[in-house]
Amino acid sequence: MSPMKDECKKDFERMSEYLDGELHDDICREIENHLRHCPECRKCVDSLRKSIELSKKAGEEEITPDMRKHLRAALRDCFASEQS
Amino acid sequence: MTSITSNPTDHDLIAEFKSGSMEAMEKIVGRYEDRIFTFGLKMCGHLQDAEDIAQETFLNAFRYLKDFREETKLKNWLFMIAARACMRKRRKKKCEPDHEISLDSFIHEDGSDGKYEIPDWSDDPSDNVMRAELKKIIDAAIQTLPHKYRLVFNLREIEGFNTKETTEILEISTQSVKTRLHRARLFMREEISKQYMEG
Repeated sequence: MSPMKDECKKDFERMSEYLDGELHDDICREIENHLRHCPECRKCVDSLRKSIELSKKAGEEEITPDMRKHLRAALRDCFASEQS
Repeated sequence: MTSITSNPTDHDLIAEFKSGSMEAMEKIVGRYEDRIFTFGLKMCGHLQDAEDIAQETFLNAFRYLKDFREETKLKNWLFMIAARACMRKRRKKKCEPDHEISLDSFIHEDGSDGKYEIPDWSDDPSDNVMRAELKKIIDAAIQTLPHKYRLVFNLREIEGFNTKETTEILEISTQSVKTRLHRARLFMREEISKQYMEG
């Protein structure tokens, strides 16, 4: 197995912090400089960014009025039995 | 007792609740039930479990709201209670212990981090079938995340809490939140790509 290059590994480990804007400017510049010269890491960051966006969009749930009604009824029952 | 204004803040509702208003309680439930329910569903994967989590969260919240000193936002406090409810439910179900996700597991034999095909999410409502299919893939992938990674992933990615808020909700270190989120994202990328290419 050919090991991942040290610079690539370093960026791979901090890719989420980079995408979340949680790194200092100088580290971001260092990463961006590396990305300009490394197509593999560019692909890595692009696919990660895409899957994050997809997870956020597709992760939303729609709560139906029935589910809401059921929860309210259950809460009312619980409060009534606690207070009696 | 004063009546609740048309657009009360959480602080107003808490104050009204503390002075005995049941209307305030209903409004708090109305404001946060969808988010808590969604969180329960994403954590447990079953409607009944999600409903149990939501019930337990609101019951505990209203039991202790009188003592709540608003050192954190009401929403964050509710999620702290909900996260604990999820952990209790998991203990009751006597689930397998969490396995760790290691970074090395994402580094492939050629020394790269692999090749991934990630589909795009279309905002066009006419792509309903595609969207439903993608949603199914994402939901299934979330359910395969080990519990402690799923907690962080759902709070950060689905609920939109930042790192600091997530550390407070889960009472874990900043580094743990960052590490778990990164590994969960890599895991999700792999699962999404695998499911998408198989489908």
